[in-house]
Amino acid sequence: MSIDLFSVNSVCLIGASREEGKVGSIILKNLKRSFKGEILLVHPTADEIDGIKCFRNVEEIPHKIDLGIISLPSKKAVDAVKSLSVKGCKICIPVAGGFGEQGEEGKQLEMVMKELASKYGSRIIGPNCVGVIIPRIGLNTALTSEEKSRFPSDGPVGFVSQSGALGLLTIDEFSDFGVGFSSFISLGNEIDVDETDAIETLGMDDGTKSIALYIEKIARIDDFLKACKKVSPSKGIVTLKGGQTDSGNRATSLHTGSLLKTSFSLNGIFRQNGIIQASNEIELMDYASVLALGKPIWGKRVAVVSSAGGVGVIATDTLENQGFKVGRTSDELASEIRSKISPIGSPYNPIDMTAEATNFQYESVINQIDKSGEFDSILAFVLFQTFGVTEDIIEFLKSYNKTGNTPIVIGAVGGEYTRKTMRKMIENGVPTYPSISRSVAALKTLEERGEYLRRFENASSS
Amino acid sequence: MPVVPELEFKTMLDKMGFHQPKRFLINDREDYKGEFPSVLKVSSETITHKTEIGAVVGDIKTRQDFKEVLKDMKRKFPGETLYAEEMAKKGVELIIGLIKDPMFGKLLLFGVGGFYSELIRDVTFKRVPIDRYDAEDLLGELKFNRVFDGYRGHKVNKEILIDLLLKISDFSIKNEFSQIDFNPVFLYEDGYLIIDAKLVV
Repeated sequence: MSIDLFSVNSVCLIGASREEGKVGSIILKNLKRSFKGEILLVHPTADEIDGIKCFRNVEEIPHKIDLGIISLPSKKAVDAVKSLSVKGCKICIPVAGGFGEQGEEGKQLEMVMKELASKYGSRIIGPNCVGVIIPRIGLNTALTSEEKSRFPSDGPVGFVSQSGALGLLTIDEFSDFGVGFSSFISLGNEIDVDETDAIETLGMDDGTKSIALYIEKIARIDDFLKACKKVSPSKGIVTLKGGQTDSGNRATSLHTGSLLKTSFSLNGIFRQNGIIQASNEIELMDYASVLALGKPIWGKRVAVVSSAGGVGVIATDTLENQGFKVGRTSDELASEIRSKISPIGSPYNPIDMTAEATNFQYESVINQIDKSGEFDSILAFVLFQTFGVTEDIIEFLKSYNKTGNTPIVIGAVGGEYTRKTMRKMIENGVPTYPSISRSVAALKTLEERGEYLRRFENASSS
Repeated sequence: MPVVPELEFKTMLDKMGFHQPKRFLINDREDYKGEFPSVLKVSSETITHKTEIGAVVGDIKTRQDFKEVLKDMKRKFPGETLYAEEMAKKGVELIIGLIKDPMFGKLLLFGVGGFYSELIRDVTFKRVPIDRYDAEDLLGELKFNRVFDGYRGHKVNKEILIDLLLKISDFSIKNEFSQIDFNPVFLYEDGYLIIDAKLVV
């Protein structure tokens, strides 16, 4: 069942602290910095913390509470969940550990807590998690330090993780790269809200254009796959699955079991359900961002455009190795392109504009390819190291990505200036990747997406 | 995990219409009425890796050889059930398996089979039931996939293979198991044969 994460107007923090470095103090700092709604604090003794009035207990609060963050040790957290649930708070997030991950006693506490919450119609995220980040409303319950970690901008990628830390690290890295997030949900011990609920939640949110998922275990496989199948026609889903399945431990005398255990390829199972599989955190984010920013690709014919011969050649090799066809441009298209680029360049495919390339040449060549209809996609390497290629090209790429018929993926290779410019491109919704192999992999993702959508359409029309 | 005696499982597969080499239960040498070469095997609940201990002897070319192999095997495996099959000509070697995984449920495995299957590990999985598109996907997902378009004289019939995968998927829905190996399955231009079949319940 989906949860209402995107319209949280009031947050109640139980366990706020004045002491610098304490969990309750960091969470409060993060809330104060960016949360657009009302912050309510509960503290047994303090009258105010950081200029915000404290209530003695939840019952005293005269307002409605949409979301409660509980930064208290396990037993006290259970009581807090109870007060919040009775008060009508819809989402409770106990961030601390000390529950099921520590043994039987903790599991008991989890059961009690879950029963209390569900009795009053409240949902629990966690415990033992970093909670949620919803940039759109400035909500951040995570223990990130402002000075050392980047708070993500609002954007199209919804991110769900069974590892809070891996999630935060990845967000920090990719926020710096320009990728925006609609949400981050850390599932923790998953006593209530699980990956299936998260998929349903993000599936219903218009701001979320693609979903990235880091999972180690799937609690309700049938529901999970059903939810993915329902969401995936409108939003791409990428999964990074950590940990191996353990069925290979049983009856290892047969080949099937040992092959399942040693095989990292659960790809087939995910593909079957419209889910694209990543094999590391970089792929997870690259694929999710390209699904959010790019358009599905409906065939294997790729036009490679670059200003560096070698880049075009390696990209071509990589593409063909993966089943794409980097075929020659027709005579007609070649002569159109020839008239636009340097006489020492190549108008065939890969198209090489040489170091004399300019923004205008990129624009003309890309438009010409699009007009010809000879290709199913364009992989353009926009290389900023030469004189004629500048940041101004972003305007064209942004509008082409929106209105062009032939889907495009941009690759760039380079250092500080390139990284800075790539970041602007991504912020402007242009699917851009910082290496030959990553841009090819991103393009491949869009092609897989097209293949899935075609299959889905065939299945629903038959 | 109890292993179902191979002969029992193979007989069950016959009844379901899966293609296997002609098989004969062997008490004495007169019981074998098939063509040569032939293979003589022990059907056991405890022995799963037969080749290593000599519980399967293949390429028996004459009736005389058969007699000697049978004598030898009866001595080595007293009291065990023996059966013989016509030895199939080599086809494209595949493995098709089924497993009930605690997280993902019932899965179908498809990959390169035979002696090196665990070494090569060119395999892929789908949740069952699969549809025709999934079956085609299984073929496409192997690195080995070009073999299905014909390779060095090995011609295969993709449609027969896809039908077999769908039939096994159908079987997996109607039956309970912990693991099943069909390994190898020989695929030919005009059909297939399941050479070895093992069931763990």
